[in-house]
Amino acid sequence: MTNEATDHNGTTKSTARVPEVDRKLLEILVCPLTKTTLRYDSAAQELISDKARLAYPIRDGIPIMLPDEARELADGE
Amino acid sequence: MMRAVMTAPSHRIFDRRLVALRRARAAANFPAHAFLVERVADEIADRLGTVNRDFPLALDLGSHRGMLRDVALPPGKIGMLVETDLAPAMLQGRESLRVAADEEALPFRAASFSLVVSALALHWTNDLPGALVQLRRTLAPDGLMIAALFGGETLFELRTALSEAEIECEGGLSPRISPMADVRDMGSLLQRAGFALPVMDVDRVKVTYADMIGLMRELRAMGETNALIERRRAPLRRTTLIRAAEIYQDRFGLPNGRIPATFEILFATGWAPHDSQQKPLKPGSATARLEEALKNMDKP
Repeated sequence: MTNEATDHNGTTKSTARVPEVDRKLLEILVCPLTKTTLRYDSAAQELISDKARLAYPIRDGIPIMLPDEARELADGE
Repeated sequence: MMRAVMTAPSHRIFDRRLVALRRARAAANFPAHAFLVERVADEIADRLGTVNRDFPLALDLGSHRGMLRDVALPPGKIGMLVETDLAPAMLQGRESLRVAADEEALPFRAASFSLVVSALALHWTNDLPGALVQLRRTLAPDGLMIAALFGGETLFELRTALSEAEIECEGGLSPRISPMADVRDMGSLLQRAGFALPVMDVDRVKVTYADMIGLMRELRAMGETNALIERRRAPLRRTTLIRAAEIYQDRFGLPNGRIPATFEILFATGWAPHDSQQKPLKPGSATARLEEALKNMDKP
């Protein structure tokens, strides 16, 4: 499994290269742990659960809704 | 990295990371070993064909390489289909709406789907009742679930051969093949998970292989090898493996020299409750007297 599409600095990737996540899909997704609504950060390509303090990555347009793969939010984020 | 927010129930049987890893490894070559998933997908499609309604938004839980969508779904009945798999690699290169998701922690809002289908994915869950409850909650009222999972008779020949060889050669026994749901248990699980009009049925598939090693190779290619947490750290000894293959051949071998392997597939069907569905009458709501009915029965 490779991660070549993840690029968190956002400087090198053009927006055209990031596959868009379907709107309908975003509407029905919730945090798998808390079942609460997620915030979509389109620049970072992350879905953020404020309640679980986790950011789920979106890779190649696929939301990775696995707690093991999520990034823990920093303080104040 | 372990997360503090993750709860680890004490009754965990399967190592979900190992399950994910096995599925990820199997992803690239999976279509060559997908005959069981394809057969199940066809079966699910047949059942959907008999249901006279449309499903605007459907979920394929544990979609492997998308067999259900590609092979089988009746055209026109399903609006949008969301595919999930525990291993993101299984979802690579597909056109559909995809989400990497764990069957044990579903990331979908309640009442999202009018249909949930699942072809051979739920047998790896540690908490099957919990997974079923979560699935029922993702269904809109009057939504339909059709889930196929391996039942307890699956690979009984392999289980027998491995256990006997292990006792004989190593003087002990370790769990090699995962425990699986029983058809009777599944019916009551569906009911307890809140599904209305639950129906269970069973399909038994017998496949033949040249030998036990051939069977084990295919199980690995399917991503279905043992992921029991309590599995022994050491692999099976070579002598034990050879003895098991002999026992398999002696006990179950076919006249043509090949060996059979049984897969028992349980089909669980249920609906999210809705007022329009048939229900048993409330006690005391009868309009005819039992006494009258019994009297009428006596007449010739």
